Amino acid sequence: MNGVTKYYSLIIFLALSLFAAAQISTAQNLKSSQDKKTIAAFEKSAKNYVKLRERIENKLPKLSKDATAEQIEAHKTAFQRSVQSARSSAKQGDIFTPAATELIKAIIKNEFKGKERVELRKTVLEADTQGVPLKINFPYPDSKEQIEMPATLLLALPQLPKQLRFRFLGRSLLLLDRENGLIIDYMTNALP
Amino acid sequence: MKRINNFLLILVLAFYSSALPTVFVRTVSSQSLTKPDVISQRSSSLKLTLPLQEGSVRFLAIGDTGRGNKEQNELAKVMVDYRKAFPYEFVIMTGDNIYYQEKAEDMKTKFENVYRPLLNDGVKFYATLGNHDESNQRFYEPFNMNGQEYYRIKKGEVAFYSLNSTYMDKRQLDWLQDELAKDTTKWKIAFFHHPPYSSGKRHGSDEKLREVVEPLFVKYGVDVVFAGHEHFYERIKPQKGIPYFITGAGGKIRKGDIKKNSPFTEKGFDTDLSFMLIEVWKDEMHFQVISRSGATVDSGVIKRKN
Repeated sequence: MNGVTKYYSLIIFLALSLFAAAQISTAQNLKSSQDKKTIAAFEKSAKNYVKLRERIENKLPKLSKDATAEQIEAHKTAFQRSVQSARSSAKQGDIFTPAATELIKAIIKNEFKGKERVELRKTVLEADTQGVPLKINFPYPDSKEQIEMPATLLLALPQLPKQLRFRFLGRSLLLLDRENGLIIDYMTNALP
Repeated sequence: MKRINNFLLILVLAFYSSALPTVFVRTVSSQSLTKPDVISQRSSSLKLTLPLQEGSVRFLAIGDTGRGNKEQNELAKVMVDYRKAFPYEFVIMTGDNIYYQEKAEDMKTKFENVYRPLLNDGVKFYATLGNHDESNQRFYEPFNMNGQEYYRIKKGEVAFYSLNSTYMDKRQLDWLQDELAKDTTKWKIAFFHHPPYSSGKRHGSDEKLREVVEPLFVKYGVDVVFAGHEHFYERIKPQKGIPYFITGAGGKIRKGDIKKNSPFTEKGFDTDLSFMLIEVWKDEMHFQVISRSGATVDSGVIKRKN
């Protein structure tokens, strides 16, 4: 009798395990489907910004591939001013929407665990970025360090148009324009 | 059974020794590494260990230069002196080309004025971006980046891949894979800022970068890798058959930053600024590392694998 009880207990345990696994799998698929929508919306917002900045850049004198230091500086300054003017009403969260923020934070948390997270925090917090303004439409100072984005994290995050960059600033994550250096959007507490 | 085990062990050892590139190293007296009075004597005491073969590819590798300080200027003078003995045609830069502000004036004081004699002589500089470099440097004519953050150039039988390790995204990795896959050039050399292997106390190995680039280097037969970021010189023991060099002491030294007893170090020099002279000829890459005093701190030959 004792053996029969054990036998039925095992069957019930296996059945429950299978049921639980099926539930988790379904939940993951649902999450995955929602993630795709979130990523698509995020990428669309990023592309919309790129369209805007391309319209602006096309009106500026083109920067050649063999420019002088003066030409590069003049182009960057003019580009910054024009984009700042065109996005004067931009605010935090326009591109990093709450859904995108949640997803990106989850990706970072998943990518960096334990010792790796400690090391990343150390690298980011020790970087020479003091005084960089956490403000939309403000230029990231060229005198400050541009922290390396971990390569494996970039592979996990949504891919940005080539004109844009993710970059850590303390525990925040910035969305930067690589040519004019403006902070396009940011999220706080991105780094767990 | 024991005999079979020994036989298998010999087979494994034989396989690994054939997979590693051969590095022949010349020894340097420790005295020559530290004596500052060599600076005044350097012009008359240049000792070249490079073979100066006709038709060879000759270049200089340097990194973390862009400060415009006294030390960088002194090292630049040694670079000019050595060009008389070893007429290198170009320079590869392993990043952090311009520290802090990057106004037009900074490009002059931290780069153009420092290397003016070389620029006037037609020596080309090929830059890569470090964590202190703005992306717009790719448009700066003297850096020869042709508007690209990552690019390939070919010099004789050597293909050079300049990569942007500060932002190694999928787009760049796909490009690297495509380029390497179709590259039939005899030598393939990659250079970028962050070192996949390093014995530095401050930074150390960039393991996340290594995770994505090393498989491509191994798969497509990259022969040598140059990096910077660490403000010292280090020759890394070949890793998965690839020799790695760190040459990041072009503007400032981080004294005593190389960990003692590091498993990676083949040779290290962290007491003064330095650059590398390199000559590629047929299946050999000769290198000589020069300090600010003009002394040779390391030299050797890497034999290319087939």
